[in-house]
Amino acid sequence: MEKATPQDPEQLAEAARLNELRRLLIGLSQEELRRLQLLLSDPHEFAEELSQLLPYAIRKMIEKGEITVDNLLPFVEDAMHKSIQKNPQRLADILFPVMGPAIRKAVSEDLKRMIAAINASLESGLSPKTLKWRLQAMTSKRSFAEIVLANSYVYHVSHVFLIHRETGLLLHEEQAAESKSLEADLISSMLTAIRDFAQDSFKQATPGSLDEIQVGELKILVEQGPFAVLAAIIEGQPPADYRLTLMETIEAVHYNHVVDLEKFNGDTTVFRHTAKFLQQCLIKAKKTSTSKPPYLLMAFLFLGMAGLGYFLVQRYQHTKLLKSFANALESQAGYHLTNSDVKGRTIYISGLKDPLAAGPDSIREAMNIENRSLEMHFDAYVSADPAILLKRARVFLNPPSGVNLSLSGQTLIVSGKADAAWVQQLGQLTALPDGIQAVDDTGLNQLASDLTWIIPAIEEKSFGFDVNVIKLDNQQQIVFDSLVRAALELENYNQIYNKTLAIYVRSYTKRSNNALANEKVARQRAEEFISLLERSGVKKDLLKSQVLFAEDLNENVSLRTVHFAVFDKNQSGND
Amino acid sequence: MLGAFAVGKTSLVQQYVNSIFSEKYQTTIGVKIDQKQLIIDGQDITLMLWDLYGDDDFMKMKPTYLIGASGYLLVADGTRSETIDVAIQLQAMAAATTNNAPFILLINKSDLDETWEIAPETLLRLQQRGWQVLLTSAKKDLMVDEAFEKLAKMMLA
Repeated sequence: MEKATPQDPEQLAEAARLNELRRLLIGLSQEELRRLQLLLSDPHEFAEELSQLLPYAIRKMIEKGEITVDNLLPFVEDAMHKSIQKNPQRLADILFPVMGPAIRKAVSEDLKRMIAAINASLESGLSPKTLKWRLQAMTSKRSFAEIVLANSYVYHVSHVFLIHRETGLLLHEEQAAESKSLEADLISSMLTAIRDFAQDSFKQATPGSLDEIQVGELKILVEQGPFAVLAAIIEGQPPADYRLTLMETIEAVHYNHVVDLEKFNGDTTVFRHTAKFLQQCLIKAKKTSTSKPPYLLMAFLFLGMAGLGYFLVQRYQHTKLLKSFANALESQAGYHLTNSDVKGRTIYISGLKDPLAAGPDSIREAMNIENRSLEMHFDAYVSADPAILLKRARVFLNPPSGVNLSLSGQTLIVSGKADAAWVQQLGQLTALPDGIQAVDDTGLNQLASDLTWIIPAIEEKSFGFDVNVIKLDNQQQIVFDSLVRAALELENYNQIYNKTLAIYVRSYTKRSNNALANEKVARQRAEEFISLLERSGVKKDLLKSQVLFAEDLNENVSLRTVHFAVFDKNQSGND
Repeated sequence: MLGAFAVGKTSLVQQYVNSIFSEKYQTTIGVKIDQKQLIIDGQDITLMLWDLYGDDDFMKMKPTYLIGASGYLLVADGTRSETIDVAIQLQAMAAATTNNAPFILLINKSDLDETWEIAPETLLRLQQRGWQVLLTSAKKDLMVDEAFEKLAKMMLA
């Protein structure tokens, strides 16, 4: 203000009149004019004044729609760009208080994302699905983690709410087509109440820190903006970068509706335009398969393993059995195996076999092996096995039952008793069985002649008769039968040994009292006895009657008796 | 809904709306929220009713719940004069938090004449301060709808 100096009263009155005139003419006092003049003459002062008006003017212009934020962006960006080029430190200083929390939040988000990824991986476990992913990773040259992230998320975002931060009122809601309607207004308010409750109760320094509510499989992710809050209702485990989607959405909503949000008066109609942003948050991923254990596959595997195990055990046992058979055959006399091989369920055996060796069937049957499991081929050979040598000797010599055969080296030892004919045959051998070089028969005894029992059996018999009677009583009949058996044997003996033995049927009498008559009776008696023998089967040419007189004999004999004596017809001549 | 313990806030809300949340929310997080659709002067209005836990020695009301409120009902019990004092204290806090949002003082339990404790002078004094005062009975459904509708109109004004 201009200071008034004491002047002439006339001058003062003139000045007052001039002022009055100015006021009447332009409506401004001198003081106001001076201030305008100062603004025009001093750019610094003018800029100072304008700087206070400009933000207000711009805000008014935006409100009226004369300019938009988009119109201003190029200038602001250009200015910031130049400012940063000119003095980067200045921007760093400005951002410093912001960057700390921003970096912390980014790191925390990344950690959360990583934990979510690990959780998802663990949830997948070592299932066939993971093995398939590993295969995918190998074939596609992508990392396994990438494949897991691409595949393992199973989630469904059913509702997204845009909530006014201060009032808790629902600004807009989007829901998945198949989801049931919720009381969105109430839920929004309740979420806000819960957020307030958490914030109040735990005295959180930073507002808006309730980011997640989890109830079983249901999860509510909350993304805070300065004026609005985005809440997504999710079933299952969303991908870790879903949080980023929410952040971008709430940013887009704020960017496009900052004035509406700031000046919110309860009218939500304008927020219907946020639908396109909110719909981006309604994402879902179908479950590729249920997480229950693959029972069917496990059952198939188990059956497969059991089948394979059974097959291997069976095959092992079969092979073992066939090898045992081959070993048993090899140890059998008369066999020499050159090859034995098991292929599948069949054993192939080839080698040499002595014709006298026992067949393989007894071993095969004892070991319960089917014939079709065996494929055998044998060439004949002469075995030097002692058992086979003895067998061969037995076939060759056909020894009688009393003869024993044994071996000492390549010498056949013949012992025991044999009849003369066999002994004679053995002595006349011109060739020996294969494999036997010599025969030792020193232990062999020739059986004594059969005469030793036939002749006494015949000669010890005697029959006594009454005068003029030739008839056997019961007792004599028994003796007679025995005599007949011996006489018949004598005939066989003659045939076997080519002998001419015969039997005298001797009738004893005496010379006294008419020798001739006595002789006649005696001869008749003998003849009648011969006819008795003949009727019993004894050949007539084996029998010869003979009458002997007691007086000619050195021994006492009973009269009217018949005795017997064996003689050789060729040596006796004609009696 | 603001008021001392057991003045009938929940009963008033129950009388007015059908709630989807159980009352246990009040005792757990201190608030139960209900919704009421109504038409005022041909305009669709949705009232979100935040029924706050009664202010008593055991659990203080959380002022945060008042932030963003467009209006509120102060509730007192006509048979307990001290609840008027609580209502006055709550109003002072609410006025500051809600930036002088409109409100109505409801003196509930108006059906209990014989135990009525509040003198007419007290109410007159409050009305002289510009307070809107209504006598209600949640039990007999007296003036309940009117109270909510009146508040809605005040908020729209």
